[in-house]
Amino acid sequence: MTISSFEHDVIIVGAGLSGLRVAIELCEKFDIAIVTKVHPLRSHSVAAQGGINAALGEDDSWEAHAFDTVKGSDYLADQDVVEILAKAAPGAVIENERWGTAFSRTEDGKIAQRPFGGAAFPRTCYAADRTGHNLLHTTFEQALKRGIKFYTEWFVISLVKSKDQVCGLTALDIATGEVHGFTAKAVVLATGGFGRVYGHSTNALINTGDGCALALRVGAPLKDLEFIQFHPTCLYGSSILMTEGARGEGGYLVNAEGKRFMEKYAPEKMELAPRDIVARAIQTEVLERRGFEDEYVHLDLRHLGKEKIMERLPGIREICIYFAGVDPIEEPIPIQPAQHYSMGGIHTNKHGETPVSGLFAVGETACMSVHGANRLGGNSLLETLVFGRVVGEKVGEYTSSAKQPDKSCVEEEAFKMREHLQTLLLHEGGDSTANIRETMGQTMDVLVGVYRKSDALEAALKMIRELKTRFKNVSVGQSDDKFNFALVRTLELENMLDLAEVITMGALMRRESRGAHWRLDYPQRDDENFLKHSLFTMVDDYIKTELIDVNLGKFDVKERTY
Amino acid sequence: MTVLDALFQIQDRMDPSLSFRYSCRGAVCGSCSMLINKEPRLACRTQISYAKSNDMKLKPFSAIGETPAGWNPEVEILIEPLPNMPILKDLVVDMTKFYDVLESMKLWSDAEDGDTPRSQTPDERKKVERYVNCILCALCYGSCPVNAEKEDYVGPAALAKAWRFHEDSRSLEPERYTKAVKRPEGAPLCDLIMNCVKACPKGVAPGGAIRKLKNL
Repeated sequence: MTISSFEHDVIIVGAGLSGLRVAIELCEKFDIAIVTKVHPLRSHSVAAQGGINAALGEDDSWEAHAFDTVKGSDYLADQDVVEILAKAAPGAVIENERWGTAFSRTEDGKIAQRPFGGAAFPRTCYAADRTGHNLLHTTFEQALKRGIKFYTEWFVISLVKSKDQVCGLTALDIATGEVHGFTAKAVVLATGGFGRVYGHSTNALINTGDGCALALRVGAPLKDLEFIQFHPTCLYGSSILMTEGARGEGGYLVNAEGKRFMEKYAPEKMELAPRDIVARAIQTEVLERRGFEDEYVHLDLRHLGKEKIMERLPGIREICIYFAGVDPIEEPIPIQPAQHYSMGGIHTNKHGETPVSGLFAVGETACMSVHGANRLGGNSLLETLVFGRVVGEKVGEYTSSAKQPDKSCVEEEAFKMREHLQTLLLHEGGDSTANIRETMGQTMDVLVGVYRKSDALEAALKMIRELKTRFKNVSVGQSDDKFNFALVRTLELENMLDLAEVITMGALMRRESRGAHWRLDYPQRDDENFLKHSLFTMVDDYIKTELIDVNLGKFDVKERTY
Repeated sequence: MTVLDALFQIQDRMDPSLSFRYSCRGAVCGSCSMLINKEPRLACRTQISYAKSNDMKLKPFSAIGETPAGWNPEVEILIEPLPNMPILKDLVVDMTKFYDVLESMKLWSDAEDGDTPRSQTPDERKKVERYVNCILCALCYGSCPVNAEKEDYVGPAALAKAWRFHEDSRSLEPERYTKAVKRPEGAPLCDLIMNCVKACPKGVAPGGAIRKLKNL
């Protein structure tokens, strides 16, 4: 007998740190399952390097952490959400330590902390430069211990609503090519960011923003999508991340004239200014012809010495050797900025609730908003663990009083999705997925990058809309049922095109410069008109845009200098 | 260009039906383990120019000892699925057994709730550092002549992970992990051939841990 649909109280989409932490919160009381397109250990959380912030030190405080986060956000973060993050940070780190994470240690046996960009204290706890790897493996072990049910290598195709309420989803079993329905009282999206909308990104190839696109299509608004973090130090060529920890440990940024150019841009903080400021500084150096080959600058670690590099930054060294043929003990590392993080995402409140009943979001895929216009390093791992728990609690409350929905609505949708995929697989003669994806990536890199301006953004929007039209006749190229990754990558592209359009619309609409969003034609922050979140809602086949208030609080909005 | 880049070129430009697993493309997620020129490697970390180096010096067994007719190693790179696991399609293998032992051997920390972090000195951490670096890519499993012959063998990664918990100064009951590895399909099956040490992309050296486990 073949099973046509599955049923659980709660379905979580994505098995990175956010999804796992939600699952751990809920698994004792509810029948839950995680649907994930890759094995949990292959999730992008694994790639986080530098660390996780928590005010553990005696001289540090949650208020100082909150202030740094709000200032770093260029005052766009919602201060009530930041307060939750900063207050709960020590607890989240301690919980994972007690689960077994092997944090690096001080001589007296405490969790070691390093300085990070935009932070007043060395507040970033770390496990060498493999913090995400350590946290993910540990959290996955705890999920195994609790017997959490995984649907591994299943790709979610659509969310299903019954009346105004989410009642499940449909998903493609990648191994067999079959589409099944999943009925649930609540669905939690924890699918991470959408970095692969850009050609140059530090993100894993799987970071295609599936959750954001799914939410948009069932009427849940996206928020602040124009705020894209460009990480300053990414390996030239492959864009693999070189952790901020490299600068935290004392690394220098040097231009082709041999100068530590950050003294011009952030005389006090130098290399440890926040990411948006350092990324712009590097881009400016290159544009003004002080880069190497007009492409990159150097991250120089040589003065740290072999011992420190081997102890604190062994992963960076390995990546440099294998991917660039450079040993940072001997030579400087060629780096340039690349897309790194999505501050925006699915609009939720501080409990992870979207405006659509039964639909929740958490982690990078959500926008609560805790990072505002620019995220501080070390706050994203923290967000996953703190809000994984917080959102899990809220989902539990909701699920306790929700009724199990009728299966028929997901079964009907699964039937429709099978037809949709069959039609897609029959297309012939259109553009290939790869062609459309590459054009999208180049468009976003060049026209919606570190520096933005109106005419470039208009051109980008035109191109993306043209690509969306071309996508309607996209040629997948193969129709096998089993492990049809060509089909998966085509569905991912469909998701990314929707997000590329919204990112660009947001960048056009925001006629100011704030945090990571820099408009050459509007180089000032404009609090009067734009101390607001942008909101994007799909209504029929167009995107409605609006601006909503930021939750301000104890920290007054000020000019932001470092 | 890496082997993974090349595989994407093929999938994108020549044969969209080609199936292989991938994720981070930066040698941290462990998805793209495969046999490249008869050596188990991460495709993302293997430069095309390096693929021919053949410097792993593994003890051969059938999957890596026999070469297919017609392969010209001078001009072609031979890419095969990771050995010792059932092939599902192209380069995609069934890793169920590899993952299942993590559960059956209960390879996790027995956490107790508490409000403070536990103390661990840098020297104590150093004892487990090598082992926590394991990315569970299964290259050791695919390189092991014992895994090739004995279906039930849990493989080097699981044993190294058990040793990681045994050696962790914070573990409440270290003997639990040694008990788990002493089962017949655990450490007793290892012949200390050490292919795992040579194939490991992260310097974990599972074989060293297994030797210590066998001597306990």
